[in-house]
Amino acid sequence: MRDKRSNPFCMIVAVLIMLFLVAPLVVIVIASFTPTALITFPPKGFSLEWYGNIFSKSNNFVSGLLNSLKIGLGATVLDIFIGVTAALSICRYDFKGKNILLNYFTSPMYVPSVCFAFVLLQVYSQVGRVPGWARIFIGHFIIILPYIVRNTVSVLHVFNWTLEDAATSLGANPVQVFFKVTIPLAKPGILAGALLAFLYSFDEVALSSLLSTPRFVTLPIRIMNYMEMSFDPTLAAISTLLILCSLILMLLMEKFVGLDMFMR
Amino acid sequence: MASLELKQLTKKFGDFTAVDSMDLQVADGEMIALLGGSGCGKTTTLRMIAGFTEPFSGSILVDGKDVAGIPAYKRNIGIFFQNYALFPHMTVFENIAFGLKIQKLPKAEIAERVSEMLELVKLYGMEKRYPRELSGGQQQRVALARALVTRPSILLLDEPLSNLDAKLRVEMQVEIKRIQKELNITTIIVTHDHEEAVSLADRVIVMNAGRILQVGTPKEVFDDPNSAFVADFMGFSTFIKGSVKLELPDRLIVECSGHDLSVKRSVRDDLREGDNCILAIRSENIAIVPEDNMENRFVSGSNEIYAQENIVKGRVESITYKGHSTRVEVSGCFEENVYPAPNDYTGPGAGGELRLYFPSDKLCIYKN
Repeated sequence: MRDKRSNPFCMIVAVLIMLFLVAPLVVIVIASFTPTALITFPPKGFSLEWYGNIFSKSNNFVSGLLNSLKIGLGATVLDIFIGVTAALSICRYDFKGKNILLNYFTSPMYVPSVCFAFVLLQVYSQVGRVPGWARIFIGHFIIILPYIVRNTVSVLHVFNWTLEDAATSLGANPVQVFFKVTIPLAKPGILAGALLAFLYSFDEVALSSLLSTPRFVTLPIRIMNYMEMSFDPTLAAISTLLILCSLILMLLMEKFVGLDMFMR
Repeated sequence: MASLELKQLTKKFGDFTAVDSMDLQVADGEMIALLGGSGCGKTTTLRMIAGFTEPFSGSILVDGKDVAGIPAYKRNIGIFFQNYALFPHMTVFENIAFGLKIQKLPKAEIAERVSEMLELVKLYGMEKRYPRELSGGQQQRVALARALVTRPSILLLDEPLSNLDAKLRVEMQVEIKRIQKELNITTIIVTHDHEEAVSLADRVIVMNAGRILQVGTPKEVFDDPNSAFVADFMGFSTFIKGSVKLELPDRLIVECSGHDLSVKRSVRDDLREGDNCILAIRSENIAIVPEDNMENRFVSGSNEIYAQENIVKGRVESITYKGHSTRVEVSGCFEENVYPAPNDYTGPGAGGELRLYFPSDKLCIYKN
């Protein structure tokens, strides 16, 4: 048995580090309720004024949010089809160069997104007249693919392929085997990958800022632009809302998939 | 319920021939075992029968009809997998009902047939559990029930007892036999364990390197292997080299390292005087002759022995207590060491001398 008592010094250091990680977020959340026009901590009073400001039409936060959701969801759904297919063929079949193929599919993870954006800009200018949404969509579509491939592969890597034989011997045709056995068992990996991919797309800045046009702006870019003009507590309010959304998403995933999927 | 016939069945992986022109007939309701070491082709044969892999040449006939070209999911063959392959995301009920749901049977009938199966494998009341909540033995019963519920024409069992502890093995062995006889289903067991094969099957097929070496009842294969290789595989521990000195009508006199041993002739021996041969004997059949017994009349195990011949002196090298028997390593009898395994050993310790008796009807003889 290992000694379960912990060293008090280690405990103190650990608690301090955790405080250090969370403290700025706590400050932002509290400051978002301030009635003053400057972010002050602790806030002098309580007001929801800045939350209302988020939704005022002139600030375009809502349209930015909708754009981000469209791009994120669209790219994630399309990447699920491509990523899961890729992961399946890499894991199920034994062929030369399957590791190279896996690295190929995950390479966007290692290439700096600024480089990607630069290359895409060249392409767009060659093609010409690429609509604003497509400029960002194509970029996101490429850079989030690795998350889905990786997470699906991590599940399929330990997948017991005999289960497919078992289902087949019980009379299930290949399509039935796929939807009744393979997909349900790979689901945790696919969902975890999809969530990470979506979140990555949702707060992607570097690539989007280079590719976006004034008429199609995602939420992070909108926030960045707003920050350049003014630095009022609206930003704290919107940050608080985004933190809340992430938290809810994580809790949902924990409930349906289990967070240990993300630890792989 | 169906008969099965393999005709010149061959499977190649590149240059490697996994199954080589295999011929086999299995009668309706018969339980046979394919026995062999890893890579002998037994699992490949199983996968070809199941339809998971296509034969290179030859054919598989079920009830006289060639099944070539029929996809695995239409063959109606029940398979019990070595690792059980239970669907982890389904309950016991859903696991067993899977094949019936695929057939789109009415719900009431599915429920009835599943509960019928649960009764058969004695798992009543476990329907709502998930496989991970079951013990190894229970998982195995679910796997068996799932394989049987669709009323397959043939049942394939892949190493059915290998993952169980000794006590459960005996229990499941009895269960599998009972269920097989109750349903009278044609069954093929694939195993590398000769005890599993002889305890379950009506007929044992010993395989090596893609070929059949011997076909026989469990007793025939166990007591009278037709080659030294099969003998080794069936657990014979002592092998002695020699040459035939004299041919007599009912026995052969074999000279082994200066000692003459009398060996009962077997039906297939084609040995002539002067031929080199190998003798094989099971450990438990070598008797230790008590020293104080001049007439060589003694009791060994449950047999009363009157040994007139085949007694050889040797020296104890080591003694290993194995619970139900004791393994004794004896040198000096012949060039090779021999390994008697008496139930209770009371002879001398390491370095001491003792006399061993090799019953002539327990010695198997093979051409070398």
